Amino acid sequence: MKVLVSVKRVVDYNVRIQVKGDGSGVNLDGVKMSMNPFDEIAMEEAVRLKEAGTAEEVIAVTIGGDKAEEQLRSALAFGADRAIHVKVNEEVSPLTAARILKAVFEKEQPGLFLMGKQAIDDDNNQTGQMTSALLGIPQATFAGELKIDGNKATVVREVDAGLETIEVDLPAVVTADLRLNEPRYLKLPDIMKAKRKPVETVSMADLGVEAAPGLTVTKTSPPPARAAGIKVKTVDELVAALKDKGLV
Amino acid sequence: MDFSLTDDQVMIRDAAQDFLADKSGSEAVRAAMASEAGFDAAVWQAIGAELGWCAVAVPEELGGMGLGPVELMLIQEQAGYHLLCSPFFSTVCLGTTLLKSLGSDEAQGEFLPKVAEGSSRFASSIACGVEAKAESRSGQWLLNGVVSQVCDAGEDSLLLLFAETDDGAGLFAVPGNAEGVSIVSQTGWDASRRFATVELNDAVAAMRCDDATRLASGGRKANALSRLYVAAEQLGAAQRCLDMTVAYISERKQFGRTIASFQAIKHRCAQMMVQVEGLRSAVYGAAALAADESDVQALSMECAMAKALASDVLFHCAGEAIQLHGGVGFTEEYDPGLYFKRARASKGWLGTPEELRAEIAGVLL
Repeated sequence: MKVLVSVKRVVDYNVRIQVKGDGSGVNLDGVKMSMNPFDEIAMEEAVRLKEAGTAEEVIAVTIGGDKAEEQLRSALAFGADRAIHVKVNEEVSPLTAARILKAVFEKEQPGLFLMGKQAIDDDNNQTGQMTSALLGIPQATFAGELKIDGNKATVVREVDAGLETIEVDLPAVVTADLRLNEPRYLKLPDIMKAKRKPVETVSMADLGVEAAPGLTVTKTSPPPARAAGIKVKTVDELVAALKDKGLV
Repeated sequence: MDFSLTDDQVMIRDAAQDFLADKSGSEAVRAAMASEAGFDAAVWQAIGAELGWCAVAVPEELGGMGLGPVELMLIQEQAGYHLLCSPFFSTVCLGTTLLKSLGSDEAQGEFLPKVAEGSSRFASSIACGVEAKAESRSGQWLLNGVVSQVCDAGEDSLLLLFAETDDGAGLFAVPGNAEGVSIVSQTGWDASRRFATVELNDAVAAMRCDDATRLASGGRKANALSRLYVAAEQLGAAQRCLDMTVAYISERKQFGRTIASFQAIKHRCAQMMVQVEGLRSAVYGAAALAADESDVQALSMECAMAKALASDVLFHCAGEAIQLHGGVGFTEEYDPGLYFKRARASKGWLGTPEELRAEIAGVLL
């Protein structure tokens, strides 16, 4: 079975985000960029499936400009066998990303499409679901556990009510949640091996994909500063304070 | 000179950063400092046997990765940033550098593959001069004397020691658990790196490691590279002092505002940054020169300058970190003190700033 894994270049999770003065976006100058942490978890799961003999080949795919190849190299160092770089220099909306990933999926015909549940840059949490819908294949989002048995996958999903176990037919889109696994640390020999692995570069036109009607970001602003809390001595005071704020 | 890092070098640096951020945090460093060995065996096992850090500088034909001083410098920078307690410095930066620079082919073939696979570690002296004597008896080399400042010496380490012979100084490998070897721990102010005095009483060497033709220039090169790796560690530590200070002053409030908003505090942080960035240029420049396999004279000068500057910058930044943390800065509970102790200790290793400036002046004048 082939496993396709999508990875996205995002601002490293340790970076303290700064909004540009004119509100046009986030300042990316000199900022450390990394693979989206949820995509790392998806990549780790794919490599584990290969190490367990369940998967035969792991293919990483990314969408982005020239620098996005750095994240593909990380994916190859994790253990992906080869990579596909869909070169796009413009901002890509979730729907456009889903269209591109659909085209890559149809070209590669993997048995499983793993991706992070969301990217930590815009937290949209849409691409996995949209890709599944466009392909007309099952989806299992927020996976905390994944087992493959023949043409079926059993996925334990982390949902608001707790854990939900579902079975889906393969191929399917599975999106990784935080507790699916703990990604490995990159080994230096694997980093050196990664540069010898093939990276195929394609354009949206090569894939026959057109961008979806664009989303326009009208303003970016930092979250409001958290107000100071208050201390209450009794439950009655707590209830009164909550009522004052209109929360109960 | 091009200082820019390749994609692979950036990945190596980031991989080291990710691992150490998880495994060499403040609590882990303090636990290692309080432990008998002075390091966490599991972290050392991961570094040596799993992640391949010890293979970086070992030639490919001996099972290593065959990478150069730039890659090792980048790892050392991260090790300094996180105050890593581990025999990595003694094994890779000192021991492997010594064997590669002046070791015989036989010695390299015997010991370096074990380092690359993480099954062996070195302990070497950072003291200047040759402190022991070696004599050949019945086909064996027997060592006598006292060797001071042996870094990370332990019974499970292979001691790489210089000793005087009838035909000049030589480099000898002596197992730490050999008969006639006594390892006496030294109590220093920086518990994040251990030193010991090694007493040798007719200790049998496993091998004489030096190659006569490589000894003269190789010794100088090994000395220069060792200084470079200490300077890289000091660079990382100085950067950490700046980062932790900026984080602290951005949260600490006085008179209803963060103390980071006061001009006097800003200026002191800016001065720390100026010094750290200048040091980064010096260290990266020396590493780039070392990677070029340029002449030993130029390399010695660059590494001496980098180490002299690094010692001064780290000492300044660690001191400023304590001052800008205010009253808590010098307490055990806060980290600046750990870095100040490392700064004070490493200032004296492989040449004090004053000694290094005297060396540089000797070449200039």
